[in-house]
Amino acid sequence: MRNAQITPRKLKEKFPDAILDTLSFREEETVVVKKEAILPICRFLAQEPALSYDFLTDICGVDYPDREKRFELVYHLYSMGRNTRLRLKTAVGEGEALSTVESVWKAATWFEREAYDMFGLTFEGHHDLRRLLTWDGYKGHPLRKDFPVKGEDFEHYEVPAMPPDAFSTMPEEAGGEREMILNMGPQHPATHGVLRVVLKLDGEIIRDAVPYVGHLHRGVEKLAEQMTYTQAITLTDRLDYTAGICNNLSYVLTVEKLLGIEAPKRAQYIRVMMAELQRIAAHLLWLATHALDMGAMTVLFYCFRERETVIDILEDITGARLTPSFLRIGGLAADLPDGVEAKIKAFLDDFPRRMREYETLLTKNIIWLKRTKDVGVISPEKAINWGLTGPVIRGSGVNWDIRKAFPYSSYDEFAFEIPIGEHGDVYDRYLVRLEEMRQSARIVRQALQGLPKGKVRVADPRVTPPAKEELGKEINAVIRHFKLMSEGISPPPGEVYCSVENPKGELGWYLVSDGTNRPYRYRIHTPSFVNVAVLPEMIKGLLVADVVAVIGSIDIVLGEIDR
Amino acid sequence: MELAYFLIETVVKVVAVFAVLMLVVAYLTLAERKILGRIQVRYGPNRVGPFGLFQPIADGIKAFFKEDLVPARADKTLFVIAPMISITAAISLFAVIPFGEQIELFGRRISLTIASLDIGLLYVFAVASLGEYGIVLGGWSGYNKYGLMGALRAAAQMISYEVALALSVMGVLMIAGTLNLVEIVRQQAGWHWNILYQPFAFIFYLVCALAEINRTPFDMPEAEAELACGFNIEYSSMKFALFFMAEYAHLVAVCAIATTLFLGGWDGPFNLPPALSWIWFVAKTGILVYFFIWERGTFPRLRYDQIMRFGWKFLLPLTLANIVGTGLYMVLRGM
Repeated sequence: MRNAQITPRKLKEKFPDAILDTLSFREEETVVVKKEAILPICRFLAQEPALSYDFLTDICGVDYPDREKRFELVYHLYSMGRNTRLRLKTAVGEGEALSTVESVWKAATWFEREAYDMFGLTFEGHHDLRRLLTWDGYKGHPLRKDFPVKGEDFEHYEVPAMPPDAFSTMPEEAGGEREMILNMGPQHPATHGVLRVVLKLDGEIIRDAVPYVGHLHRGVEKLAEQMTYTQAITLTDRLDYTAGICNNLSYVLTVEKLLGIEAPKRAQYIRVMMAELQRIAAHLLWLATHALDMGAMTVLFYCFRERETVIDILEDITGARLTPSFLRIGGLAADLPDGVEAKIKAFLDDFPRRMREYETLLTKNIIWLKRTKDVGVISPEKAINWGLTGPVIRGSGVNWDIRKAFPYSSYDEFAFEIPIGEHGDVYDRYLVRLEEMRQSARIVRQALQGLPKGKVRVADPRVTPPAKEELGKEINAVIRHFKLMSEGISPPPGEVYCSVENPKGELGWYLVSDGTNRPYRYRIHTPSFVNVAVLPEMIKGLLVADVVAVIGSIDIVLGEIDR
Repeated sequence: MELAYFLIETVVKVVAVFAVLMLVVAYLTLAERKILGRIQVRYGPNRVGPFGLFQPIADGIKAFFKEDLVPARADKTLFVIAPMISITAAISLFAVIPFGEQIELFGRRISLTIASLDIGLLYVFAVASLGEYGIVLGGWSGYNKYGLMGALRAAAQMISYEVALALSVMGVLMIAGTLNLVEIVRQQAGWHWNILYQPFAFIFYLVCALAEINRTPFDMPEAEAELACGFNIEYSSMKFALFFMAEYAHLVAVCAIATTLFLGGWDGPFNLPPALSWIWFVAKTGILVYFFIWERGTFPRLRYDQIMRFGWKFLLPLTLANIVGTGLYMVLRGM
């Protein structure tokens, strides 16, 4: 982490007046800068060779109504070459604008739109500053602290008129020229949920595309601010609902980082094992739907057969198929049940044969190759600039996997490889995910073989309730139990960002604690959000049929885009 | 008197063929779902009646009682006529297909074909193309952009593959020297099946037929993933069912024509009595139908432009080459 400390020094040399403060908490570097200097500082950070923060992970707002300058805008940067993170913060008052960093990182486009939508922050020079998750005409900014939470707190609310679209949907109104506007979704069999893409077509060729998200917006980040840290685990399952365990893991790791604790070894191994099983299940679901979008119906059923086995195993362990909420801050809800290890082993023995079945149907199939090769290409430079993550950026040949870059939960003790593609097309992303399934199976086998003995909850009275035997003997234990159950966990004040490699990419949490038992800010950085923002870039100039191929290959889940 | 007998005979044959065909189409939907189910490690329909045997009837009743919606901005006349065109064309194809050897009944020689036309094959191509009008009009008249795109694709695909389809059977015509389907079958009697002389033409025919009846990997007009069902997107109730039946009737027709042209029609490995010769015909057609279901469970869908390119740049030259090859062979053999 010494690596990171050169950044504040360099920044102070270059911008002596603009740097207000530098902080370090839980080995994370934070630099507080002046609002006016945000663009030059960002450009310097991205372009200075010794720093090269080429990757924008996240931009989010935080609302502090009591401060003079009410909002704080938080930038999370990452340097691919130096493997270092940096947090930039700047204070923005009500009604003030600050300049966009779109020109430095394209990834900022959607993050800034979201900050505009949720906090009412405006960005000068942004090319397309519209609401993102709510609709045009929506009143209020939901993540402000004074935005009402309960229904009775709302004043009379009028639903705004039909939102105007980027393009008119009627051909005669579109000018009646060569182009036709086609509205794909939100009800469409191949947009994987309620994604809506408005296409401008010349014949079947796509001239322009505008994605609309937010149809599934539930205000998770706002909801979590009303919950205790433990309760908020249940919200994580419902983000990427194909990978509940991985979401749990990301969140509890962030809270553990905030608390400065670490789960016992056995719990870490079981977490890894379950997360990798979940990754296999999520990738199987991706392969099933991706192939179905291209008309290969049979693959769907083959994949669901194996996914069923994995889900059964996870159900044995957690009691739930889709929304496990099984991980706890400081460990797991329970140890592995009897007999599940044999089931996992049986699955692992069977799985390579099943993989060969899918590959027989697709990998060398000439129609599959024709549909996927050189379609939806994204270059490595663009992929980094757009902040893509997961198999999408690896398909473009960028070796970036959080399991290797910032090993968490003992991932450094497992042997596995990170597959990367070459061309960044649909086919490479397909191959990358297939190989990831094999590597996941490898990790699960290692975790099963090397499973340490011991407890699955950390022995820390702040987070772990007393054992049942103690409750009958000790009045203090009863009090402690009651306080933990009713009040929950209260981490020290501070802020952390922690992320894991989800099946879809980097899922990270930025948690701000004010010392109470509820998160002050519960910011979720989701992989599908950044990956879907690049969709227009990928599909311009292609045909309508390629849209479903590309959407399938970036593997979006609207639950985590819309939150 | 002769005219009266002729009329009675024709009417009986038409009714019989129509009834059997409707039954076959109904159970073909069940067969497809069952076979696909087998391929896809699932059961297929098995709740309505033993082995799901009443499923087609249940489907038919359901389709009949569903609300029949016509979009407000649709061209109502064309919208109603389109499915009728499709089904009429698909069923009319069976008028010239010879199902079996002539039989003796009530002292009359009755051929097991409704009409033994001298221009049988020409009739087949003419009527089959009419069926595409149903799809084009159906997609266009519903005032839906997905439907429109389906219709456009259907039109383009029809033109491209009709050419290759016609050229692919040209070799057979050159050998047979007639367009009469009954005559073509007779010439193949005794193991002189055209598939042995025209193996490439048979393969070309099957590929073109796939495109002609809009099945995977050429199911562009309805591509459910991108066009959300394409041309029939606005259809409901019996109108939708008519499109559905037309598709399956067309599938059977295409297989029946392949049997007639390439697989020797009712000619079998050993001779059955004339009254039973249709069994061979049914068996061969059934095998081809099974092939079409099987490939649907195997292949992904091609892209629109790739299909066009494949049709014009690959299939068309090959079918032409096949004609030239056949011609050379005939000249050299002095036929």
